Amino acid sequence: MPRYIATRLLSAIAMALLASLVVFLISALVPGDPVLAQMGDIAASNPATVLEWRAKWGLDLPLWERYGIFLRGLVHGDLGISIATRRPVLDDIVQYAPATVELATIAFLMAIGIGIPLGIAAAVWRDSWVDSAARAISLLGVSAPTFWLAFIMLAIFYGWLGWAPGPGRIDPIAFPPDGATGLFLLDTAMAGDWEAWWDAAAHLVLPATVLAAATIGLITRTTRAAMLDSLGQDYVRVARAKGLRARVVVLRHALPNALVPVVTLGGLAYANLLAGAVMTETVFSWPGLGRYTFRSAAALDFPAIMGITLVVSATYLMVNLLVDLSYAALDPRVRR
Amino acid sequence: MSVTSLSRRHLARLLGASAAALPFLSGGNALAQARGNTLVIGLDISDTITFDPVRQAQYTPPMTLAACYDSLMTLEANDLINPKPSLATAWARTPDGNGWRFTLRRDVRFASDATLTAEDVKFSFDRILGMQEQTQQYIKAVDRVEVVDAHTVDFILNSPNAPVLPIFCNPGCGITEKAVLMRQGATFGPGAKDTDRATEWLNNNSAGTGPYRLGRWERNGQIQLLRNPNYWGTAPAFERVIIRHLSDSAAQLLAVRRGDVHAAFNLIPEQMATLRSDPNVRVERLPSLDFVYMAVTQNPAANPVLAKKEARHAIGHAIDYDGILNNLLGGVALRPAHFLPIGVNGSTEQIARQVGFSQNLDRSRQLLQQAGVPDGFEMEIAYGNAAVAGISYQVLGQKLQADLGRVGIRVRLNPMDQVNIRTVYTQGREAGGVLTFWNPPAVCNDLWASAVVERVARRVHWTVPPEVTALVKQASEEQDLDTAASLWVEWQRRMVDEAHHFILFQPIYQIAVRNSLRDFPLTAAGWQLEMAHIKPA
Repeated sequence: MPRYIATRLLSAIAMALLASLVVFLISALVPGDPVLAQMGDIAASNPATVLEWRAKWGLDLPLWERYGIFLRGLVHGDLGISIATRRPVLDDIVQYAPATVELATIAFLMAIGIGIPLGIAAAVWRDSWVDSAARAISLLGVSAPTFWLAFIMLAIFYGWLGWAPGPGRIDPIAFPPDGATGLFLLDTAMAGDWEAWWDAAAHLVLPATVLAAATIGLITRTTRAAMLDSLGQDYVRVARAKGLRARVVVLRHALPNALVPVVTLGGLAYANLLAGAVMTETVFSWPGLGRYTFRSAAALDFPAIMGITLVVSATYLMVNLLVDLSYAALDPRVRR
Repeated sequence: MSVTSLSRRHLARLLGASAAALPFLSGGNALAQARGNTLVIGLDISDTITFDPVRQAQYTPPMTLAACYDSLMTLEANDLINPKPSLATAWARTPDGNGWRFTLRRDVRFASDATLTAEDVKFSFDRILGMQEQTQQYIKAVDRVEVVDAHTVDFILNSPNAPVLPIFCNPGCGITEKAVLMRQGATFGPGAKDTDRATEWLNNNSAGTGPYRLGRWERNGQIQLLRNPNYWGTAPAFERVIIRHLSDSAAQLLAVRRGDVHAAFNLIPEQMATLRSDPNVRVERLPSLDFVYMAVTQNPAANPVLAKKEARHAIGHAIDYDGILNNLLGGVALRPAHFLPIGVNGSTEQIARQVGFSQNLDRSRQLLQQAGVPDGFEMEIAYGNAAVAGISYQVLGQKLQADLGRVGIRVRLNPMDQVNIRTVYTQGREAGGVLTFWNPPAVCNDLWASAVVERVARRVHWTVPPEVTALVKQASEEQDLDTAASLWVEWQRRMVDEAHHFILFQPIYQIAVRNSLRDFPLTAAGWQLEMAHIKPA
């Protein structure tokens, strides 16, 4: 197993570098000049200043040399300086990542917490009202555009009913907690500030629900299909014939076998939630990586784009690795 | 099946509990108590990259900087021509006539409690000059700053009549405390741009004499300002100000309606219309000095017809300016004649009507005949995929396409991403017209006019006649305001005649303000809001 993990880690690094190379080449081919886009009007009209700026970001160097500099920096943990924010890309990522990780994690927990039980229920009571309800929820979750859903949720639960707090991570007049992790739930809990914890938790409900909606639909449908398959297997019939209680048959016998495709989907879904929160973050003014990614791409801020690509690739690859390892825990045959 | 009934009950309970919990999600008691003395502003602050006054070159940071830093002089909202005292109580020419001598206000203290002296003024400007950022470009006429005594300071100019006074009013020229900044790694003089290390500290703190001090900045989150207990003026009404980043205008609308923010700055006109029936919110107008214009190249390689002045004049007479103002913008905009927004010396609505283009389709067709293209011609209009003042460039482009089409000018629209349009325009590679935006770094006619003859002219491939450049210099350096105004009118007349830039509108921004605020003084001077003068009802 250790050898398997080491091999997977090495291939993950290679894949991440390959992804960064592809992104690097694409951003180099785009005709716009990111430096001109960021300079003030006076500076942009001064050829000497433009040359100086281009040299500062290595834009005057051949393509291969620029990529070489990126790789050398990477070895030293340096992702370069963002053209748009003018500070280290790593600092930007470290600052914005916790907001996205917290949001995506809560959304993921909601997705599996709702999607798996709903999928099981839909399979157990196939063609009942529960199954119909699960189908409707799945359809709505998968088909409702995130942007639209975010507006609707915000307008109803914040604007109209006043049941939920507005955009942002905390109350407009609250001080953000001073914590080591940047994860507000964790930081406030560690500080024992339960009022701030409640505030942060409340602010997570709507954006996490919106972000989770599509994933809930996917997990529900996948769980239902996998459970139906499992429930039709001989070993389930044998278990029932032996007189086991229905709950034991479903949860102990059918469910573990049905979970393998759900875990695969869940892993990818979590990585998607981490990388795909742009719309949700925009509507809810969530200071996370999604907005940073969007702004970096719009500004052709290639050091930032490269850094984000690397982080996103690494996240996908690590999640995939964890998914593969979890197969062994779920299915004894894999361990052999 | 026992499993069935049990799980259904559980499911129902779970759903019920979740719904019941929602009403309790809103904030706690301590926060409710803090609201009374805190002003909350909803604003998209995603452009903010620094609060170092010297390095700042973005749109929204001046609001914060003006609250934290005082400049030597200031501009009042109803008079953007004559600077008024701020940290300097008086100013006059230096005895040798080569610059300006400022007398500083006595007993002004920084937020740190230290007293303001002429050394702080000299340090602040030496740092600007040494850093060579955009702010330095505005005051390049300053040769050096000399301390006369603790409360008197001389600015020696390399061009004695250069118009520096209004530029000194902008927050980028705010006075910073020397001792504090030196402790935080500031340097000044040649090479400062490579050695200065104070910016990181200034991004989360401030070292000024303004009514507020910067408490904290969460990027893309919020800016917190705390009342400066040592402020020399009337103490501001609110103990704290929070500028809350709300990137989406719909979220801003909900927040101002719910009362979570006192004012929302980025609502679009359609959203403003929904507020008319809200008894708790009013709409305040912020006349800006920004404007949206179309630059048209005369590069014959790009479009030989546009190289002819008559063809460009035909464009100027074909555009339905009133339609843009009244129909697309709902009447909340102005239109100057050229690159001098209405409100500055030599630019009024009346002058704009006299000097600027107006729609005259017959005249436009005549001009096309004179240009040798009686059946019209084809041209491109490029623009960025963005919006300004609640209207997208796409819609504006379509309006121009329709207007020009009425005289036979066939417009090909070319939407681009923002980086590309900026690259194309800055390098003068546009194929025809470019729709773009201009906002001033400071209220100074010279900054607009110089921009045209020094930079923008190159982008449209126009070789500026020496007399036009001389006219800009003469008008900029003219000390008599009435004479200067006449010269600026003449300059605008010349520029309209060249027909490279068609000013489409100068937005009047609309700000939604809750009636819990009595006074909410907005200004076009560059920092949008006079934070110290906001008063609760």
